[in-house]
Amino acid sequence: MAPPAQSHRSPSPSQPSGKGEVSDLKTQLRQLAGSRAPGTDDTKRDLFKKVISYMTIGIDVSSVFSEMVMCSATSDIVLKKMCYLYVGNYAKHNPDLALLTINFLQRDCKDEDPMIRGLALRSLCSLGVANLVEYLVGPLGNGLKDGNSYVRMVAAVGVLKLYHLSASTCLDADFPPLLKQLMLKDKDAQVVANCLTSLQEIWSLEASTSEEAARERETLLSKPVVYYFLNRMKEFSEWAQCIVLELVSKYVPMDTEEIFDIMNLLEDRLHHANGAVVLATIKVFLHMTLSMTDVHQQVYERIKAPLLTLVSSGSPEQSYAVLSHLHLLVMRAPYIFSSDYKHFYCQYNEPFYVKKLKLEMLTAVANESNTYEIVTELCEYVANVDIPMARESIRAVGKIALQQYDVNAIVDRLLQFLEMEKEHVTAETLVLVKDLLRKYPQWSHDCIAVVGNISSKNVQEPKAKAALIWMLGEYAQDMQDSPYILEGLVENWDEEDSAEVRLHLLTAVVKCFLRRAPETQKALGDALAAGVTDFHQDVHDRAFLYYRLLKYDVSVAERIVNPPKQAVSVFADTQSSEMKDRIFDEFNSLSVVYQKPSYMFTDKEHRGPFAFSEELGNLSIGTEPSDAAVAAQRVEANDKDLLLGTSEKEEGHGYGSNGSAYSAPSYNASTTAGASQAHFDLVSIDQPSTVHPPVSFAIDDLLGLGMPSAPSSVPSTLQLNAKASIDANAFQQKWRQQPISLSQETSIDPRGVAGMMNPQALPQHMQGHSINCIASGGQAPKFKFFFFAQKEDGSSAYLVECIINSSSCKVQLKIKADEQATSQAFSELFQSALSKFGSA
Amino acid sequence: MLQCIFLLSDSGEVLLEKQLTGHRVDRAICDWFWNQILTQGDSLKLVPVISSPTHYLFQVVREGITFLACSQVEMPPLMAIEFLCRVADVLSNYLDGLNEDLIKDNFVIVYELLDEMIDNGFPLTTEPNILREMIAPPNIVSKVLSVVTGNTSNVSNTLPGATASCVPWRKTDLKHATNEVYVDLVEEMDATINRDGNLVKCEIYGEVQVNSNLSGLPDLTLSFANPSIFNDVRFHPCVRLRPWELNQILSFVPPDGQFKLMSYRVKKLKSTPIYVKPQFTSDSGTCRISVLVGIRNDPGKSIDNITVEFRLPPCVTSSDLSPNYGAVNVLADKTCSWTIGRMPKDKAPSMSGTLVLETGMERLHVFPTFQVAFRIMGVALSGLKIDKLDLKNPLSRPHKGFRALTRGGEFQVRS
Repeated sequence: MAPPAQSHRSPSPSQPSGKGEVSDLKTQLRQLAGSRAPGTDDTKRDLFKKVISYMTIGIDVSSVFSEMVMCSATSDIVLKKMCYLYVGNYAKHNPDLALLTINFLQRDCKDEDPMIRGLALRSLCSLGVANLVEYLVGPLGNGLKDGNSYVRMVAAVGVLKLYHLSASTCLDADFPPLLKQLMLKDKDAQVVANCLTSLQEIWSLEASTSEEAARERETLLSKPVVYYFLNRMKEFSEWAQCIVLELVSKYVPMDTEEIFDIMNLLEDRLHHANGAVVLATIKVFLHMTLSMTDVHQQVYERIKAPLLTLVSSGSPEQSYAVLSHLHLLVMRAPYIFSSDYKHFYCQYNEPFYVKKLKLEMLTAVANESNTYEIVTELCEYVANVDIPMARESIRAVGKIALQQYDVNAIVDRLLQFLEMEKEHVTAETLVLVKDLLRKYPQWSHDCIAVVGNISSKNVQEPKAKAALIWMLGEYAQDMQDSPYILEGLVENWDEEDSAEVRLHLLTAVVKCFLRRAPETQKALGDALAAGVTDFHQDVHDRAFLYYRLLKYDVSVAERIVNPPKQAVSVFADTQSSEMKDRIFDEFNSLSVVYQKPSYMFTDKEHRGPFAFSEELGNLSIGTEPSDAAVAAQRVEANDKDLLLGTSEKEEGHGYGSNGSAYSAPSYNASTTAGASQAHFDLVSIDQPSTVHPPVSFAIDDLLGLGMPSAPSSVPSTLQLNAKASIDANAFQQKWRQQPISLSQETSIDPRGVAGMMNPQALPQHMQGHSINCIASGGQAPKFKFFFFAQKEDGSSAYLVECIINSSSCKVQLKIKADEQATSQAFSELFQSALSKFGSA
Repeated sequence: MLQCIFLLSDSGEVLLEKQLTGHRVDRAICDWFWNQILTQGDSLKLVPVISSPTHYLFQVVREGITFLACSQVEMPPLMAIEFLCRVADVLSNYLDGLNEDLIKDNFVIVYELLDEMIDNGFPLTTEPNILREMIAPPNIVSKVLSVVTGNTSNVSNTLPGATASCVPWRKTDLKHATNEVYVDLVEEMDATINRDGNLVKCEIYGEVQVNSNLSGLPDLTLSFANPSIFNDVRFHPCVRLRPWELNQILSFVPPDGQFKLMSYRVKKLKSTPIYVKPQFTSDSGTCRISVLVGIRNDPGKSIDNITVEFRLPPCVTSSDLSPNYGAVNVLADKTCSWTIGRMPKDKAPSMSGTLVLETGMERLHVFPTFQVAFRIMGVALSGLKIDKLDLKNPLSRPHKGFRALTRGGEFQVRS
């Protein structure tokens, strides 16, 4: 190999020095273009390499395009490859120049060397210039019939590339049927696999507009086709196997016998060295046996060992992907994995994200027989240098305590943590002890004894402090020093930054006062005095509330502040079981890694097809050209429902759904348990310790509409303007500007789903209800629509994003309205219109 | 379906960009990604699958090079990660290592390889044997050849015959002057020992590595004396699964050269070959440390390459450690590594010393975990034994060789 050009090392892509060198290159290339002298190829090679290395570090070398093309007449395959690479990179932005390349690429497509034929065809298809598609058809057609499998393999993928460039050209040339023929006949397995991927994509994109394509897509899942693939399974490369297995997982077998046949056939795939194949096989097994409970359990037993091996054999990245799936399975069937708990023990040098998953699994698999050992192991981590890890471990111990009956030993351990005298351990443990006491009040005696010894000075974290104060108030009669500790805390009122802590302090002092009045009187006076002058609205209000209550009638105050409490039996789970089922349905996909069903994050998926269609001049709403959207701040400026990572997403949701319901308790089981406890004290007048989701209540209360009931049963007072219209751009702009006023998830009638076979019918249907479709897209099972509607008098507009999942019968609505107050009414109107779809 | 693959250097520079579909991914995504790494600290701490505002990103880090792949559609995450791992393996195999300079010097080969490994976002072949036939590696031999013959092309002009054969991992009509096949058992012991010296967890992860230099289409069968000890096995695609299921016999047509025939796991081992006993006693601001290493369960062969590594807790300000055997090295980040080497016959290695704690701290309350490495040649600690290796259609009597080796894997001792 020739020595690298020095310019490789130039580190900054924006370095201007590239310019002069590029023009140098240009002249040098020009000189070489016509030369046939021996050794020309070597010189060319060095020059080409330079050009491509510039390209790689980001210097624009598109100016040498014509020279490169002139030099491309060569028999040297490496030169050719470099040239193809260069052309592929710049052709899109220089469509006129790209025309120059067509000639030599077409010639190469007829070369006698199959390798060159294949490479040229691949490059030709990758040019990505829409107005050159006519030149593609001929070589592609020949390629599909080529005698060499390498060329056919390239051509099969080339058809898909052509389809994305110009769907009509691809369909007019009748390529899909040709591919189908090839798929079912070709001797080479890789050609078959490539045909399959291309056809799958083409037909599912076409299915929304053409019934024939929809039918063809169905035939891919028909018994003969699936069996054909299954029988050739062993010929496929490992990657092609993944694709075929994905197809098989969608196949619905006729009877149990068929299921067993397929599983027997695929069983050996579980031993495959490629983890992706193993996981795809597992998906097939799990999905096929869903309806057969016994077999499903056996499948779990069967896949356990391969999964555990995958975790321990691969790189950390592979382990992570497998662990995420294992995590999902463990959460579904913890008892099956309960004897393998040792596999979830953490190594101290593992990355934190792996440890966190493992801790969750350890928590899940804990049962009567292994709790002791698991908790012992977890205690080891608590002493860990790694502080986040120590915290997570304590939480895990707490969770186990909350789900087990025999908590005796665990409580002892927790109390030992408090004696470790490490600030973060103490803080985390206090929060847990509080939760534990809410569930097992019978342990109060042991806990109080230890908690009482903790100096409040050693607890600085607001959450821990709040927990400590809560206990001081709740168990005032058992803790000797309680009034005096509280008094000390009240004295430092001004130094307390956290409103949460001050709120708890108020409540605790009042509770303490109700039990030990003489000792607390001074503290209560000081606390109320400080509270009513507090700058924080909540603290201020609560202080006044207590003050007036106590003034009005102490016994009433007692009933409100200190009602008899029921032990909390179940803490609200953060993830509903329905959600878990959804993720399970999407096994072996990103959903599992993100631990949420794809509808919550796949806006990107919609951008994909949308963005493709953009180039065809189609309408695309709510989507960004993907390269422009990279700038993070731009995305933030965008409305929050456009994807983003886990936490932001949730915040966005919370914000959107709470609307202006300011005082609604923001409920988040683990993190704000302390805060919400305080709220429950307040609302406990009529609903002692019930945990309710705040969303619907808050809004209903504001509107005075009562509980949400079946959409049709509420007489709609909202009239819509039948002739409302808006142009796409105005809609897009409006959508960006407005916040979400309502975000809902409902289900759709199965008949409506049947109607989704032809998604074009929905806009028509909705139009009949004065709701206009602005844009639609997506592919089965997920469709996305944007609707627009206007109030009769034209005063208020409603913008709706509606995502329909036809496989799960779920509909997700996001409504943005000029008048926030009527959005609920509109939502009902919309849903009633939607519910009539398919039934009429 | 992957849309783009980037190779980034350890300073975040884009070394290479390979667009895979007509839908271009802007390079700016790398800036976003690198910002994440900078804000999250170490790139190793970043989750392998993340979500950027526009794309899902998969990352795999090898030798300081980040392999970053982007996708906009839902896809099996393990497929993407597994593929990136293969890319990394193939590249380091081709370039004889992996670093920034190697990639920059050979970027044309890297492009060529990626071109054959993935098309339109779908992985095609990652089998090194096949790739080698399509694209010649940049080794000295081909360099010399090119000088002599004047033919500088590093691409073979013929298509790999294997693509058409029924044994896709093997070239057709191979010829070797010396016919030989070597089988290595390489095992790693993962163990966790708690502070009381009890074995919390101990298992073996092993691989059967084969180096085959055989002519023609050899058909091999390999059998074990005690196949029942396996808890789980995974095979190279060349292994026929039926004979394994029936008789636990490995029957296969091997790829040419070095490859991993199978990997396996053996659970629930009862003891470890060596012990490491750390002890800490704190007293008024200083802490005495002593670490003893010795043989617990003699494997019958000598144990060498022993190192004991641990990280001093942050509250230790200075340390003074001295071993009676080997050498101790304390790095700036407070990592201590004690290199013992071969286990001496006449004495038990020990290391002792004092740690000075931060002022105001009486006793040490966080204790380090000791990472132990060792190597035992000639023994597979799982007890796995190869029974015999047969050749069905040998052209000539080949030379056969067997070896075994056990290493410490994740061998951790808590204190």
